[in-house]
Amino acid sequence: MAKRGLVGLLPTTMAVLFPRLDRLWWYLALVSAIALLGQELARTSAMAAPAEFEGFGEDSDELEDETSSVFPVLVPPPVLTQSGFETDRGPPEEEIKVSKPSEIPNPTENPKPTIKSHSDYWDEDEFEGLPPVELTPPTNTNPSETPEANQGSRKPKNLPPAGPQSYYIEFFCVTFLIAFAVNYFFGRRQNEQIALAWAAQFATKDGIFEKNFSLLGTGDGNDTPLLLKEGQNVFKFYASGRRYCQGLLATMELQSRHDLISRMYNFIVPCKDEVNIEVYMNEDGMDAVVFALARKKAAKGMHKDTRDLQQYASLLTPPSNRKWLSEELVAIAESREVALDLVTDTVLDQVFGEKSFGKYGKGLISLHFTDQYPSGSHRKMLRFKFALPSASNMADMTRLIAIVPYYIDLVGRYKLSTQARAKADSARTKVNQELYKEQHIARQEAIQRRKEERRKTLEETDTKLSAEAIRRKEEKDRQRQLKKSMPKIKMTRVH
Amino acid sequence: MMSTTHSDPRQPSTAKPYTPPAISQDLPADYSSFLAIMFGVAGVMLRYKLGSWLAIICCAQSLANMRNMENDLKQIMMAMTFAVMGLVTNYFGHARQAPVQS
Repeated sequence: MAKRGLVGLLPTTMAVLFPRLDRLWWYLALVSAIALLGQELARTSAMAAPAEFEGFGEDSDELEDETSSVFPVLVPPPVLTQSGFETDRGPPEEEIKVSKPSEIPNPTENPKPTIKSHSDYWDEDEFEGLPPVELTPPTNTNPSETPEANQGSRKPKNLPPAGPQSYYIEFFCVTFLIAFAVNYFFGRRQNEQIALAWAAQFATKDGIFEKNFSLLGTGDGNDTPLLLKEGQNVFKFYASGRRYCQGLLATMELQSRHDLISRMYNFIVPCKDEVNIEVYMNEDGMDAVVFALARKKAAKGMHKDTRDLQQYASLLTPPSNRKWLSEELVAIAESREVALDLVTDTVLDQVFGEKSFGKYGKGLISLHFTDQYPSGSHRKMLRFKFALPSASNMADMTRLIAIVPYYIDLVGRYKLSTQARAKADSARTKVNQELYKEQHIARQEAIQRRKEERRKTLEETDTKLSAEAIRRKEEKDRQRQLKKSMPKIKMTRVH
Repeated sequence: MMSTTHSDPRQPSTAKPYTPPAISQDLPADYSSFLAIMFGVAGVMLRYKLGSWLAIICCAQSLANMRNMENDLKQIMMAMTFAVMGLVTNYFGHARQAPVQS
């Protein structure tokens, strides 16, 4: 649309001139610098030429030339006030206002109509008795007299806190902004280092993912970047081309190190770097399995929150006859058999058993295998959530990452026994039936509501009809009733 | 460790290119830009200096956390304009009456 205000032009100019996000930061720094500069200017100008604020409403033309050099910075912002509130103003209006402050012919009018704030502070009417005092200062350029006159004329107004003691706010805020900018660059680099370390360890040549997937990265071709950066703390890695599954998406969600406020918050409420690996299984690659594995405290919450776990599975007590998971972990599964089959000896020995968990498996946050994932387009999914170690210790995660392809193969090949299959199927059909019933009820309610609405509209139209029409309608209704009550005369046709 | 399979598990024929998930229209609320606008408005209307400065800080935070340029930039620019304008109004709106330093 052509109606784009000055504010609307800003994004496009910025997008053209400063295409990268970093440049936005430079813009911000520039704006802060301008604000600081302006503050300095104001301070100096307040001492040197306070007369610019005098003479409101009288003989302001001579002031215009003096102050026009000081005011170019001042005049635009109040215009922006307007554009901020009415974003549909076209640029020409504002430009006209900006370019013609000195050409306002009417001297009695407020010579700076765009600076509305001044009229808020004093009305010309209030100083009717003082014109003689106010007329002399403009002609008198003696700076020592004018501050007193200023003071005298403005005594009724509240004086802002005077002196250098009031600069604490500015000092604090400017230092905070500078610290914020510095932290942004450092934090961003730190996050990138962690993500790149992970990718270098697992996704490059001879890494686990390279050995298991044929397509790595989000683009096609050989030189595509492996990682997709979505925001300063979210990185995605995609891989595809393996049996049993359609693809794998690893999302690294790191702490917001680039944001100083979040960083301070994370000091109080600690937060971990996580990598969330989602494997989309083929339709025929996965049997009816609902299984989860998590630490004890988190498991209860997980069981309550995820719909499929709640509908199908329950927490399992550890079996007594064989070795099992470490004390800190608990399994949630649809049936004991499934859990026993999925927590194999290899896994226990390598990562999750009592001996190995402390050393290799402590990065685990949760595992979740399901064929009834409640949301999204994929129903059959394996989800692995691990905590990321620091950039230099990325190799600690090797065993955890290695269980990803192991489980893809295991679940892909796994077939339930007949009993378990029967139980699982019956549970699923039950849930589906309930869902269908709910939908049916909802549909019926919708139909009922529509009927009600239609009836109401009909009644309204009826009442709007004139009396004659009502009578005619009643006649018709009566005739219809008569016809219905009359015995039906059967007629037979003779050829 | 887990090389229980002898064959290469890769299947180049089944490789699917990455399709980014459709951007849901209802994004989670961007609290920092909302706060920035609130503080900016407070700073301008009530002529409260701290409000304008806090608005600038909140703008900086929402700029740093911006995910996709096109959607969020407009709101952030609006908040920024409010904040900067509030600052300028506060500082240049009325001269510092008392002489600052001799």
